[in-house]
Amino acid sequence: MSLIEAKSISRNVATTAGELQILSTLSVAIEAGEAVAIVGASGSGKSTLLSLLAGLDLPSSGEILIDNVKLNDLDEEQRAILRGEKIGFIFQSFLLIQSLTALENVMLPAELAGAKKPEEQARELLAKVGLGERLTHYPNQLSGGEQQRVAIARAFIGQPQILFADEPTGNLDRKTGALIEDLLFELNREFGTTLIMVTHDERLAQKCDRILRIEDGQILEHADVA
Amino acid sequence: MWHKISWRLLKHELRRGELTIMAAALVLSVCAVLSLSMFSERLQAGLMERSAEFLAADRVLRSRGGEIPTEWLERAEVEGVASARRVTFNSMAFANGDMALVDVKAVTDGYPLRGHLEIADAPFTQGVVADGLPGRGETWVQGSLFQQLGLALGDELEVGDSTFVVTQVLSHEPDSGFSVFTDSPTVLIHNDDLAATGLIQPGSRVNYNYLFAGEPQALQRFETWLLPQLDSVTQRWQNIQDGDSPLSAALTRAEQFMLLASLLGVVLAATAVAVAAQRYAQRNYDAVAVMKTLGGRTPQIARIFSLHLLLLTAASVAVGVLLGVLLQAVVSWYVSSQLGYELPAAGNGPYLLAIGTGLLCALMFSLYPLLRLMKVPPLRVLRRELTASGLSRWLHWCLAGGTVFLLMVLYSGSVILSFALFVGGILAMLILLGISRLFIRASRQAGMQAGSSWRLAMAGMQRRSRENSLQMLSFSVAVMLFLLVLALRHELLEDWRGQLPDDAPNYFVVNVAGHQVEPMQAMFERESIRATQLYPIIPGRLTAINGTPVRDEVTKEERDDSEYREGFGRELQLTWQRDLPAENTLRAGQWFAPGERGVSVESQVAERIDIGLGDELSFRVGGNEFTVPVTNIRDVDWNTMQPNFFMIFSPELLEDMPATYIASFYLPPDRRPELYQLFRNFPQASLIDVEDILQQVRDVINHVSLAITFVMVLVIAAGGLVLIAQVQASLEERQQELVILRTLGAKSKLLTQAVSYEFIVLGALAGLIATLAMEVSIYVLQTQVFNMPASLHWRFWVLGPVLGAGIVALLGWSVCWRMLRQSTGQLIRKLS
Repeated sequence: MSLIEAKSISRNVATTAGELQILSTLSVAIEAGEAVAIVGASGSGKSTLLSLLAGLDLPSSGEILIDNVKLNDLDEEQRAILRGEKIGFIFQSFLLIQSLTALENVMLPAELAGAKKPEEQARELLAKVGLGERLTHYPNQLSGGEQQRVAIARAFIGQPQILFADEPTGNLDRKTGALIEDLLFELNREFGTTLIMVTHDERLAQKCDRILRIEDGQILEHADVA
Repeated sequence: MWHKISWRLLKHELRRGELTIMAAALVLSVCAVLSLSMFSERLQAGLMERSAEFLAADRVLRSRGGEIPTEWLERAEVEGVASARRVTFNSMAFANGDMALVDVKAVTDGYPLRGHLEIADAPFTQGVVADGLPGRGETWVQGSLFQQLGLALGDELEVGDSTFVVTQVLSHEPDSGFSVFTDSPTVLIHNDDLAATGLIQPGSRVNYNYLFAGEPQALQRFETWLLPQLDSVTQRWQNIQDGDSPLSAALTRAEQFMLLASLLGVVLAATAVAVAAQRYAQRNYDAVAVMKTLGGRTPQIARIFSLHLLLLTAASVAVGVLLGVLLQAVVSWYVSSQLGYELPAAGNGPYLLAIGTGLLCALMFSLYPLLRLMKVPPLRVLRRELTASGLSRWLHWCLAGGTVFLLMVLYSGSVILSFALFVGGILAMLILLGISRLFIRASRQAGMQAGSSWRLAMAGMQRRSRENSLQMLSFSVAVMLFLLVLALRHELLEDWRGQLPDDAPNYFVVNVAGHQVEPMQAMFERESIRATQLYPIIPGRLTAINGTPVRDEVTKEERDDSEYREGFGRELQLTWQRDLPAENTLRAGQWFAPGERGVSVESQVAERIDIGLGDELSFRVGGNEFTVPVTNIRDVDWNTMQPNFFMIFSPELLEDMPATYIASFYLPPDRRPELYQLFRNFPQASLIDVEDILQQVRDVINHVSLAITFVMVLVIAAGGLVLIAQVQASLEERQQELVILRTLGAKSKLLTQAVSYEFIVLGALAGLIATLAMEVSIYVLQTQVFNMPASLHWRFWVLGPVLGAGIVALLGWSVCWRMLRQSTGQLIRKLS
């Protein structure tokens, strides 16, 4: 049984010019521990696919299962709980909460989930990503690379089964991006997380186990990376 | 766990200044309400105390029909209301072989209940506060009687069957009043000596005045019990705000001004809270989306943000209360030191009102933004354009409108007044909204012809025309309220000052014999004393109107009331004049033509006894009876310290009758010691000193002026806060655009200029609209509320737009400048 399974999912949105289909009858299965890259041109529907697989949105038709739980049957609240238990996120624009320090940003998911000793875990993780000295800094006092490292630490604190990353290096220069990639894969291996990453960057995609190439709302190619 | 997140958010956001505007708006509304209501309560109490001195009590029951039932006084005692009795009548007094008409005043212990008596050792000198009343067999008499009878302290004065020893000069009575004609010098005796004089006989004309004083609630209870039992013909219940008190108009206007201004202040502060709450919610959209993505459930997040706001509110309310208490203490201290006496303390009401206002504002204005915040979808983390959906804006308008209305009712205590103001306000805002859109559209055309900063500014304005017209509305409202309070304050103060200039006559001289008129005029001229002309006075009675006799108290019981018309029921002081007196204005008819026989009637009297132009009035003067037509009706300003008359005749009628003369004049207080010397050659003339009364009136007006200045400062602060909140909010909306332009290479200077220009135009337009709205509001207020003549304020047509442009542009420029001081990289990071 796959960890994530999407069966014939479609996603339509209403626009002023009429209904627009972003994804059409797309199916995909992702196994536990896999690292999957979703690539495609702008507007191909890769971010929409990510949002559906992560339970941030629901498909117009078809169904999605995570760890055998059918997302269509869950309401917004139940999906939030599921995300809290099983899923971590990393975004292109970091999305740290500006009025919380690095440490507090990392603690946040654990606190929301009611975890014990979140601070200890957060300190450890921040030390692991190399920010042990910058715990009390606010996001705007950190560089882009540093902010993304905080976001990575935040993603791993709940020890999620699945990690969704949306263009994690898209806002960073090549050198910093490479460092972030290394860190991401290293932690992914260490925690045994399933990684699903949307990216433009072919080189980064090649580091994954499998590449899903999307065009016009459909999967053009499932390619295993050698 | 969630409360920790709440606390942490509050701590950091406070430190980073993210909540400053919201907190400041709350602090200001609480502080303003508290200090204002506390101060106005204290001031009002002080004013009432001070004003009550005119009556020597809080309420007076005047009875011409004899004594009142003793159970009424017992009832007062039961209710906790203090009482005293003052009996007054005219009588002759004899001393040193001479005699004079005096006003005997017999009072019981406790008199005066408000204010104080002052006594002195010599006439026309500064007195000291008297401790108690004259002893048995003793009397205190006014300075002018010393002059008339050649009295000295220790002399004996015969009144009726009794003989009193004159022990003091009575230099000040709180209730001496304004009526100069009836004022013979006062002879003050104790009530216990009254019966022995033998002057109170059946049929003698005696005024029984019962004075009452106590706590407002006790007075209210007593009043409710007493009023239905009064006889409307012979008994009259009086308080300081009754129409005939010289202060009533000033007091009523001041009260209305305070109420109105504080209401405006609170509405402004509430608007600032609303704008700030909206911005607060928008700023947290990302945080909520992230929390939801990371597994936070909506109820959990709602708790986090509710507690966050609650903590913020509690802290702001506490600071507001503290500042409010401090502020009103400082202001009260200043006012007390200006007035020379301590203001009475305030109760708990203001605290409840202030805390209630703070909580209500915070709760009601942040409810909708908070509900919206909870609706932010987690998908926003990927699709940044997503905001909250599924909540009707009507809910927002209903909540905000309901809150403002509730606050208005809380303040004014009147649902009808609040409703009228509320509906009027909404209509005005809709009109303003329409006008501002038109203006914005027009300014776009103008901007196209200008340089690049201007073009950028105008293009920006046009693109955001919907947001801008809302913003302009709130700018306009803030500037308008500011101008309104400024202009009204100016009008009220001018009005009061005009009525009582510093050199208003402070003495009356009466009983001047005909042959002394010229010497007295010469004396005034020689001594450079500014005096009115000397008016002749001839006592007479109105006997009939158009042939129908008027009711006279003396004959009242002999005939049926229906055969009579309402008259004066007393002797009148008549005069004749060739020209219309300077302080009078004609309301109807023409002034007497040479040789014409007629009478000119004061307008209020004409209204009261129902007479008009052409009516035939019959008078008895001395032994003569004559009938004349009403030639004209005059308006008289009774607040001027001038001799004023109900009836003025054409010269032909009274010129040859024996008359005494009256005038009023101004003598600077430092020349007071000269009085005795100046009038030594006019022994029959009596002097009446109204300096005390004038001083009392000025005191009260000074009180009120200080109070409205204070209120104005608070309204300005509230208006300023609204502007800051609005500018900050609107600049955040433009941040993205600014960053893009900046990234594209636009210089900071160009951008700050563009923003400044945009705000200059917005501010100037807002100022212009505000001035227009202010003129309309002032017109309505002056004519409908304050009973003042309406006026235009040309200076404000310049001041409004300049002020609007200046303040708004300065605020916009400073916020923009602070924003653009950061590097482009930092800005982009902040935006993303």
